[in-house]
Amino acid sequence: MSEVLTSIKKKSNGEVITKLSPKEYKGKVDPDWCPGCGDFGLLNGVRKACAELGIPPHKILITSGIGCSSNFPGYFNAYGMHTLHGRPVPVATGVKLANHELTVIAVGGDGDGYGIGGNHFLHTARRNVNINYFVMNNQIYGLTTGQISPTSNFGTKTKSTPFGSIELPINPITTAIMAGATFVARAYTGDSKHMVEIIKQAILHNGFSHVDVFSPCVTYNKVNTHNFFKQRTVHLEDVDHDPTDWKAACEKAMVWDDEIYIGLFWQNKERKTLEDLDPVLDEGGPMAFRSLGLSKDKTQKLIHKMM
Amino acid sequence: MVDGAAAIARGALDAGCNFYAGYPITPASGILAHMLRELPKVGGIGFQGEDEISSIGHCIGAASAGATVFTATSGPGLSLYSENIGLAIMMEIPLVIAISQRLGPSTGAATASAQGDIQFMRWCTSGGYPVIVLAPTNIPESYHLTKRAFKLAKRFRNPVFIATDKDTVMTTESVPVDEMINAPDWPEIPTEPVGKPLDPYQINGTIHHYTGSSHTEEGYITKDPDIIAQFNERLKNKIESHIDEISLVKADLQEGADTLIISYGVSARSMEAVVIQLRSQGEKVSALTVYSLWPIPEKKIQDCLRGIKRIIIPEMNHGQYRHEIERLVNRDIELIGVNRVDTILITPEEIMETYHG
Ligand SMILES: Cc1ncc(C[n+]2csc(CCOP(=O)(O)OP(=O)(O)O)c2C)c(N)n1
Ligand code: SF4
Ligand SMILES: [Mg+2]
Repeated sequence: MSEVLTSIKKKSNGEVITKLSPKEYKGKVDPDWCPGCGDFGLLNGVRKACAELGIPPHKILITSGIGCSSNFPGYFNAYGMHTLHGRPVPVATGVKLANHELTVIAVGGDGDGYGIGGNHFLHTARRNVNINYFVMNNQIYGLTTGQISPTSNFGTKTKSTPFGSIELPINPITTAIMAGATFVARAYTGDSKHMVEIIKQAILHNGFSHVDVFSPCVTYNKVNTHNFFKQRTVHLEDVDHDPTDWKAACEKAMVWDDEIYIGLFWQNKERKTLEDLDPVLDEGGPMAFRSLGLSKDKTQKLIHKMM
Repeated sequence: MVDGAAAIARGALDAGCNFYAGYPITPASGILAHMLRELPKVGGIGFQGEDEISSIGHCIGAASAGATVFTATSGPGLSLYSENIGLAIMMEIPLVIAISQRLGPSTGAATASAQGDIQFMRWCTSGGYPVIVLAPTNIPESYHLTKRAFKLAKRFRNPVFIATDKDTVMTTESVPVDEMINAPDWPEIPTEPVGKPLDPYQINGTIHHYTGSSHTEEGYITKDPDIIAQFNERLKNKIESHIDEISLVKADLQEGADTLIISYGVSARSMEAVVIQLRSQGEKVSALTVYSLWPIPEKKIQDCLRGIKRIIIPEMNHGQYRHEIERLVNRDIELIGVNRVDTILITPEEIMETYHG
C-alpha cells in the first residue's frame, strides 16, 4: 500500500480507520474496452466502494468468467482470477470457503452469468455463500461481436437472430429472489453515485449479494443505450419500496417500460450463510491456513453439531 | 475389510486434504461419501456441488486460496471437468482427481467395469497439456498412490489423476494391515515445488492474478507470441523433464523370458495371477505393472525389453495403452492385446490362452 494514497485516521476510541483512495485499486493494465463501454463505470464504482469501505487490495479476491466484462480483474489491483466462460461463481465459492476472511467478488457478463453459468447462479443463491456477484448486463454478447444474450429483448436482431429473437429474456432479479439470494439489487453504470451505494451495501451484506448492473455495450447494442437507461431508470429508494417485501420486489422487477427501477429490490438479513452453518467455519481463521486436525474440545462440539 | 473408495479417501486425508467438492456418480460416489463424512472431523470442508462443473470450480478456487483439494468422478463427470482441468493446468493449480472408470456415457452398462478413460484423462483438455496419471491395481496401492498423487500435484502445481475403476472402488476386500501401513519402497517425491510456489492470497501478500489464458509471469494476459511460446513450453517441460521422477512401475522380470505381459489397474491383478501359474508350470515369463500411465514411463518400459519377442497387453478397452507401447518398441516385437469391453473383468485364463497362442 502506498503511503501517498492512504490516509490513516484515528477515532477518539483509538480505533484506526484506513481511508483508501480509489487509485489504490488501479490495476497494472489499462482496460481495452471500447470508449464509452459501460464496464468502465462498474470498474470505477467497485474501486470507489472498496476505498470507501476501507478494504485493502490484499483482502479482496475478484473472479471473472470470459467476456469483455470479464477482463475486469486484470484492471483492478486486488487478487484476481480470470476463469472460464460461465464459471466465476463456483470458483469464488471455493475461495470463500477456503478463506472466509477475504472479500470475494465475482464479476462477468449477462451471457456468462445467466446463460452458460445460469445453473451456478441459481445454486449459489440458494446456498447463500457470503460472496458478491456483479453482472455487467449489456443484453448482448460483446466479446463474440454481437449475438443474442439471455437478457436480450424479444425481437432483438443480432448476428445469431437475423430475423429477430423469438425468445423472452430472463429476469435476473426475480430469478435471484426465487432462487434464494438474500441481497438482490439493480444498478446502472451511468448513475455512479447510486451504484456505488448499492455496491457498498452488497459487500456489507452477510450472504449472497447479486447486483445486476446495466452496463451498455456501445458497439453491439444500439437499443439499450446510455440514453435508453438515462431516460427510464427510477430509484427504488424514491418510490418507497420495502426491500423486505418480496412480492413488491418481484412486481417492481417486472416493470420494463417508460420506467425501469434500479436500487435494492430484496434483502433478507435473517437467513444464515453457508459459512455460518458450516460446522468448521463458525470460529477460527481461514480454513486453508489451519493445521489439520481438531482439538478434543472442538471435535466434541462438532460431533454434537453434526448429530 | 475395506473397499477402494475408503482406501482412496483415507489416502487423501492422510495426505493433508482439507477440501473436497464432487457430484454423485456410480462408481465414484463412495469416495464422495467417505470424504464428506470424514472431512469435518479433521477441520476440513466437503460438499456436493450442483454439477461436476461447479464441483471442480469449487476445488480450483479453494486450492488457489491454499486448501489441499481432492475430487472424484467417472467418465461422464470427466467430460464436465475437462474445461476446468485445462484452467487448472493454465493457472498451475494443484488438483487431485480420482477417475473411477466405467463404460461410456449414460447409465446401465455404463456403471459396469471398464478401463475406458485412459486416453481421455491424458487428452481431456484443449491444447493437450500434460497431466500425471497414476493407476493402482489393488486396495493398498489405492491408498499409497493417492498419497503420492497429492505430493506430485503440489510439486508440479498440476492436476494429477488416480485412474481407478468400478471393481477396485466398489469391492470390499480384506487386506493385510501391514500392506496398508507400510509404504511400498517407491522413490520419494521431493517436497519443494518445481516452479514458483503457490501464493494463497495472504494478507500483506503480493498481489497477483490468475488467468486461463496464456500469460506473463505476473498473471496478465499477453498476446506476445514469444511469451506465449515460452509459457506453453514451460508447462509441457515442467512435467516432461521430470519424467524419471514421476515414472513408477513394478518390473517382475525373469531371466530368459521372451514374453512380457504389460498391464495396469485392475487388469494387472489377472496378469499377476497368470504369471504365478505360468511359472509354476515351468514357463519363463516377465511382467510389468505400470503405475504411472502418463507421462508414459518410456525408459522404464524399454528397460524391460531385453530378449523379449512378444508383448501381451491385457486392458479393458480397445487397446488404449497398447497403441502407446507400439510406438516404443521395435517392429520385430509382436504386440498382442487382450481386450474386453463387455463389462466383464479380464480373467487369468484369457491371458493364459493368449499366451499359449
Ligand atoms: C465454453 C465457451 N463457450 C464459448 C465461448 C465464447 N465466448 C466468449 S465470451 C462469450 C459471451 C460474452 O457475452 P457476455 O457474457 O454477455 O459478456 P460481454 O462480452 O457482453 O461482456 C462467448 C460466447 C467461450 N469462451 N467458452
Ligand atoms: S464490445 Fe461492447 S461490451 Fe465489449 S468493450 Fe466494446 S462496448 Fe464494451
Ligand atoms: Mg453481455
